[in-house]
Amino acid sequence: MLKSWKLKEIVLMSLFGVVFGIVYLLAIHLGNIWAGVIGPIAYEWMFGIWFIVSIISMQIIRKPGAAVLPETLAAIIEVMLGNAIGPRLILSGVIQGLGAEAAFAVTGYKHFNLAIMMLAGAGAAVFSFVYGYFLSGYAALDPSFVALMFTLRVLSGMIIAGIGGKYLADALLATGSLRGYAISRAKKGDAGA
Amino acid sequence: MRQLLHDMNPSVKFVAVTLAMLTLAFFFDPWTPALFWIGIILMQVFWSRINWKLWFVLMLPFTLGAFGYLWTALVFGANDGSEAILTFAGISVTEEQWQRALSLSFRVMAFSTLSLLFALTTDPVKFVMSLMQQLKLSPKLAYGVMVSYQFLPVLKDEFFQIQQAQRLRGVPVEESWWRRLLNLRHLLLPMLAGAVRKAERAAFAMEARGFTGKAPTEFYRPIMLTKTDFLLATFFLCVLVASCTGGILLTD
Repeated sequence: MLKSWKLKEIVLMSLFGVVFGIVYLLAIHLGNIWAGVIGPIAYEWMFGIWFIVSIISMQIIRKPGAAVLPETLAAIIEVMLGNAIGPRLILSGVIQGLGAEAAFAVTGYKHFNLAIMMLAGAGAAVFSFVYGYFLSGYAALDPSFVALMFTLRVLSGMIIAGIGGKYLADALLATGSLRGYAISRAKKGDAGA
Repeated sequence: MRQLLHDMNPSVKFVAVTLAMLTLAFFFDPWTPALFWIGIILMQVFWSRINWKLWFVLMLPFTLGAFGYLWTALVFGANDGSEAILTFAGISVTEEQWQRALSLSFRVMAFSTLSLLFALTTDPVKFVMSLMQQLKLSPKLAYGVMVSYQFLPVLKDEFFQIQQAQRLRGVPVEESWWRRLLNLRHLLLPMLAGAVRKAERAAFAMEARGFTGKAPTEFYRPIMLTKTDFLLATFFLCVLVASCTGGILLTD
């Protein structure tokens, strides 16, 4: 998978991993404050934050793996920063990344418009929810409450990760620093859509 | 003895910790996670030299989280149709719900302690090197991560620089934390643009010095797998199996 990757794309991906690793850690701390009071549902509406690096990297690099790898690297870096959630994060990073990757793989890595980005956000949400269902034992909760959590997470994935990720990547493209990456070479209609 | 967990091979530790978490996820009785939690704490007491003050500070938010989980599982617990043992403010709790809520909270505590065991005894650089040497992580990815990790202090300085530069140019400091959070995007974009340039320079420098991304046959600092790693991993699994059987026996 990595053969077709240039080294600068890999380093870019891991640097994004560092920047978003920090953002993710801040978000976890923010979520923790709530979670003590209102329980695990506190994280649901903001879950999209944790999927965003997949979507930004995929838009810029546009190669198979550009969604799952940065999410995994961001998780490894979070662990290196010595956060208290530890190795469990790496597994959730891989799973979230796979969810986003699935949406791009299904469409053959050909389209990178807003709809696909939102689909990828939703994909990451679904994958991470299934994993959370298993690991955090949501089976013990009332089905309607679990359904509410699920809906919130998918919406968050679509809005925060999908729309937010698209917005950030487009804004970054506008700065002109992305020359030499697939996003700049893409046809006009596709990059801006 | 007190150095054991610090010296353990990071990959072996990582696999053991992950395996334990995935196994615990199958249990819904309160005893299994509680027993395992105690086992992990004892391992840390005897085999590590961690800073316990820091440990307590880091555990605090998780304890709060476990409490949040407890009441969520009580109020929104799946109804099993049996008789309520407790009714409070229109919420009735059955024996089954109470057991499960306790189990989930203990699970949060066991997971957090397990995570701290890893986080507080593992050197980050050795961890990535071990992922490459033992778990065959691609060297391109491993060294990419190492390069980015070294950029961390630079990124931190840059963050404050951009913030100060924006203030100098008259960007107001927002009063509400909500607005301040939204305005983070004005900081994030220049940070990301800077990251793109740094990535390009670093990659060029690596290639100029002959980095091809092929897996080396020799390492400057090899991370070893020793007998102690296997003994520790075995002990770890024994604790896991013991708490699972203990949980099953105590529930019946």
